[in-house]
Formats: sequence, structure tokens, C-alpha cells
Amino acid sequence: MIWWVMIFCGVVTFFTRFVMFSDMAPKKLPDWSEDVLSFVPVAVLTAIIVPSVLIGADNAVEITDNARLPAAILAVLVAWLTRSVLATIGSGLAALWCLNWLIF
Amino acid sequence: MSPTPSHPSRQQEFWSGVRQELPLQLGVAPFGLVFGVLGLAAGLTPLQTILMSSIVFGGASQVVLVQLWGSVPGPVVGASVSMINLRHALYSASVAPYLRALPLRWRLPLAYLLTDEAYAVTINRLRNETPGPFQHYHLLGTGTLLWVCWQITTITGVVFGATIPPEWSLEFAIPLTFIAVVVPILKRRADFIACGTAAVISVIGQPLPWNSWIILAGMGGILAGWLSLRIMAGRGDA
Repeated sequence: MIWWVMIFCGVVTFFTRFVMFSDMAPKKLPDWSEDVLSFVPVAVLTAIIVPSVLIGADNAVEITDNARLPAAILAVLVAWLTRSVLATIGSGLAALWCLNWLIF
Repeated sequence: MSPTPSHPSRQQEFWSGVRQELPLQLGVAPFGLVFGVLGLAAGLTPLQTILMSSIVFGGASQVVLVQLWGSVPGPVVGASVSMINLRHALYSASVAPYLRALPLRWRLPLAYLLTDEAYAVTINRLRNETPGPFQHYHLLGTGTLLWVCWQITTITGVVFGATIPPEWSLEFAIPLTFIAVVVPILKRRADFIACGTAAVISVIGQPLPWNSWIILAGMGGILAGWLSLRIMAGRGDA
């Protein structure tokens, strides 16, 4: 059973990635599509970031007692100032470890 | 469009993709380890866990798949994973104008390699740098590096995972990776509106079935960004 679920998920995932590359996709997209699609990275990646910072194990929003939140805010500041991927991930992880060790 | 010496060569495009993708592996690698651990913990065999990383090849959706596995019926698992990965259709649409003219033998593997992190790096090159006849090699570079890293770290997680202390919170590396990608591309006022809207919907949408909040928040953010861009353009202050 797990194999079937896995293959199904793999096929669906591949086709969602391929759909607009296929010959069935419209050859020419309307002019406004470029503006619309320019928001794809920001909107979709934000939708992944925010819940993984705010939502806890019991599916509830965690504001207090949540070391991920200050660590993520620090990472946003570091990303803003340095534009460095390494500095952002490194500072965020280091902050989380320090906070967990010190307080939480 | 004939190649002239001013265009980057195949090798230059490929390796600049690899080079730009490399720092993101600091986030991808811990996530691969975590997935390897979770796969075994969910009762999958080592072989099933390792092969899932090439069959599905979508980090967040693989984690959801193994977490749901055993607790809900197979079709619900399938619906949930499909919903999470619907966002790739948006990536596909966004990259398609640059790749659609390629033969199928290129489009098939490039579609397979179109993950969050490869897309995030390559779309920057496609949009902001001079178009070149070999620009698809850039996606080949970002996608291949990510694929190799994901496979190696999944296998490492399966083999050594039991020795990784959970208090290292390695799964936190993934939102950090995306923060590193999103913050530098927030430029227009409409980008901030798209970001804020997606953030709000992704939180209030949590109770929705099959993790459909991901695609709803993504599309809501895109719509809000686009509308505000149009309104501001109408007022002449975009």
C-alpha cells in the first residue's frame, strides 16, 4: 500500500511541475500573467515559513513560549542586512539553540 | 538567437546554478536528515524511505506523507500530499516562458528538478540577468545539486538518524532557508502586501482539510500582491 501511495504522490507531484511546460499549456500567456507570476516566490514561500514558525505540535498558534519566533525574527533581520543565505540560516539556528538552552 | 561570445556557456550557466544553490544546502541537508529519521519512525523500511526521496522528491510533502501514514487512509494521504505540491504548478507557470521552446527531453528532467529551492534561485537568474541560449543549464545546475544533496542526506538520516538528538531542532533549518530566499526579494510595496496576506491565510487556514492552506495562502498572497500593484499603478505611485 505504501508503494502505491508513494507512486501516486510522485506522479501527481511530477505532473504539477510539468503542467505548464507541456505542449497542452497555452503557447502565449496573457500580458498580465507576468505581473501575477512575479508574486509566486514571495507568496508561496511565506505560506511555508509562517506556519512552521508559529504553529506548534498541537496545531495551535504559539506566540509565547516559542523560541522559534524570536529566532525567526532575528533571521529576518540578518537576511535583510546581510542578504547572505549562510548568515541567515546560521544565525537562526544558533539563536534557537541558545534560547532553548537558556530559557525554554 | 545565435550564441555569441558574450553569452555564458553551458558550463558557466550550469556551474553558476550549482554555486548559487550551494549555500541553501545548509538548510536542505538537515531537513534531509530529519526526513530519513521520520521515515523510519513512521514504520517505513529503509529502502522505502530512501526511494521516496527520488520518487516524490518534495521535502515538505514527504514529511507530511510519513507523518500521516498509518493514522489516516491512503487516499487521504495522497490528497494531502497532492495539495501541498500544487504550488509547483505556480513555479511551472512562472518558469515556463523561459523553457517552453526546449525539446521534451529537456522539459521532462527540468520539471522533475523544479523544487522550491531550485526554483527560488533559478527564477532570479531568469528574470534579472541577461537571457542566454543556455539559461536552462542554470536550472539543471540548481536542481541537480539539490537532488544529490537530498538523496545523500536522506540516506545519512536513515543510517545515522537514531543518533541525532531531537533538541537540535534540525527541521527549523527549512523555514530559515526560505527566509533567506524571501527577504532579499521583498522590493515593491506590493511584495510586502503579498507576503502579509499569505502569512495571515497560512495561519488562519490551518484547520482546513488536506493541508489546503498552503495553496490557498499562496494564491491569496499572489492575488493581493497583484491587485495592490494594479491599484498603485492606477494611482501612479507603484
